[in-house]
Amino acid sequence: MIHLKDINKTYRGAQPLHVLKGINLDIEEGEFVSIMGASGSGKSTLLNILGILDNYDSGEYFLGDTLIKDLSETRAAEYRNHMIGFIFQSFNLIGFKTAVENVELPLFYQGVGRKKRHQLAMEYLERLGLLPWAEHYPNEMSGGQKQRVAIARALITQPRLILADEPTGALDSKTSVEVMQLLKKLNEEEHKTIVVVTHESGVANETNKIVHITDGLIGKIEENLDHHASPFGINGVMK
Amino acid sequence: MRLDFDTYKEILDTLTRNKSRSFLTGFGVFWGVFMLVGLIGGGSGLKEILSNNFEGFATNSAIVFAQPTTKPYDGYRKGRKWNMDYNDVKRLKAQVPELDIVTPMLSGWGSKVTFKDKKTSCSVKGLLPDYAKVESPKLYYGRYLNDMDMQQHRKVCVLGKKIYKNLFPGGGDPCGQLVRIDSIYYCVVGIDYSSGNISINGRAEESVVIPLTLMQKAYNYGNQVHLICVTAKRGVKMSTITQKMRDVIARSHSVSPSDEKAITVFNTEVMFGMLDNLFSGVNFLIWLVSIGTLLAGAIGVSNIMMVTVRERTIEIGIRRAIGATPKSILGQIISESIILTSVAGMSGIFFAVVILQLAEMANTTDGIVTSHFQIGFWTAIGAVVILSILGVLAGLAPAFRAMSIKPVDAMRDE
Repeated sequence: MIHLKDINKTYRGAQPLHVLKGINLDIEEGEFVSIMGASGSGKSTLLNILGILDNYDSGEYFLGDTLIKDLSETRAAEYRNHMIGFIFQSFNLIGFKTAVENVELPLFYQGVGRKKRHQLAMEYLERLGLLPWAEHYPNEMSGGQKQRVAIARALITQPRLILADEPTGALDSKTSVEVMQLLKKLNEEEHKTIVVVTHESGVANETNKIVHITDGLIGKIEENLDHHASPFGINGVMK
Repeated sequence: MRLDFDTYKEILDTLTRNKSRSFLTGFGVFWGVFMLVGLIGGGSGLKEILSNNFEGFATNSAIVFAQPTTKPYDGYRKGRKWNMDYNDVKRLKAQVPELDIVTPMLSGWGSKVTFKDKKTSCSVKGLLPDYAKVESPKLYYGRYLNDMDMQQHRKVCVLGKKIYKNLFPGGGDPCGQLVRIDSIYYCVVGIDYSSGNISINGRAEESVVIPLTLMQKAYNYGNQVHLICVTAKRGVKMSTITQKMRDVIARSHSVSPSDEKAITVFNTEVMFGMLDNLFSGVNFLIWLVSIGTLLAGAIGVSNIMMVTVRERTIEIGIRRAIGATPKSILGQIISESIILTSVAGMSGIFFAVVILQLAEMANTTDGIVTSHFQIGFWTAIGAVVILSILGVLAGLAPAFRAMSIKPVDAMRDE
């Protein structure tokens, strides 16, 4: 599904910053992976590259069978729209649009008709138990509800890859658990490939594979099928 | 940019989200268009009002008349009174080939014209038929003077509009009726409705026209004429032959050819030229002011759109992350700008058209529009085209800024 080969990325500036120093990583279809690292380790940059939000200097990145390299903005937008669903730390819902309108938006950019769009969006909201909030604006909802709207938005284009950037970062521990359970369920039932970037070991513990990244290099990769890696990992997420 | 109901809804949403700001921004454009359309209409209306004053008058013409000399010449002292005579007409015709029409005029003031119990004062003009080519009459009834009237010294007259209305308050065709001017009865042959404000010894609507040959006899003028009206041939500038005409007349009356006061040549071409210059000046100002105002409005729109884009960095970043192409963002911002300018501009055009219509109604007499203030259809279309172009231009800079927003910017701005 994802094949990274010797990815290098340097931020240019007065002081050039070599963030990724040759990343090699393979993620198979249907895996539930977390990328862990301290801040400044390059995990966000890696996620941006995975999400085609940013480009890299050298190396190769295959998403499915497609080489993602030096794409035009239009092509990048198209790939993002069709192949990747994003879940952000701060939800990133559009404030002046209702929940259902937010969920519809990716389909709008795909050129899906109005009626079909609305119907699909309502379906996804229902699946996430948000039907009563469909016509509510983001500022009328709780953090957990907002994140679920964002998940619905990420799912609606039926992407093969879901990228979550600190999905629980702005949530309390109870809703964090709920959101992680939701992602887990998506992975188990629909075999979506999910990549979560986090610095919380409790969140990482919920995933099946933990990739440690330090100083722009992949450290160890743990298989975590029994979810007992973290001493605090039982029935709760360590914040 | 997809043609989708939601596209428009979105544009409307963003514009109405900050109503007072959109309104104030739009007002700049509104005022610019209002000024442009209003001033164009007003300018052409005023021009028409002014040129109504010279209606029917040949533009390339001059009037020659005699005044007491101001220079001693040929043994005569200055201040001598002299008169032109009919021979001057013949001389001008023969010796100045650039002239097209040379026609003399005799005139008398303070005459009374009487019909039955009605009486009114008028100025009497003795003319030749070809005077009609200098100041064209608008005959309402009957005919103008003709050559037969001249040859046979017929006692016929053409009445001006005001005189006709005073003498025949009941209206109707007065041709064939006899009116008394001073002590002689004349047969009315025509009614002239021209109402130009050019007054050559009395305005056309307040004068009675009789044959020149008759007037010379009836009022004991001999061979004398008061004025000579001339028009130049096509392509000849009146000002270039003024001195030539003066020379011809001066020679036979022992008047100094350089005495511009004694032989006054009143050149209407200069007057019309001044008027034309005035209006091209006014037009230039109109365009300068209104295009300037319009541009200021458009720059205002551009400025506000810039601020809006800055405010919406995160939103645009999110849109980009979930699959909006740069082109769709570009389209969105430019559409917002076009909608804002064109709605404001259209209301400006509408408001100006209403005002101009009122002005036109105020200038209507007897159901006849005396001057047209209303702008033409194509002028309005032109204004709309200018607006749309301005809308695009105003949206261009903000749209390109919006386009340069990267999806990662949305997350960085946290």
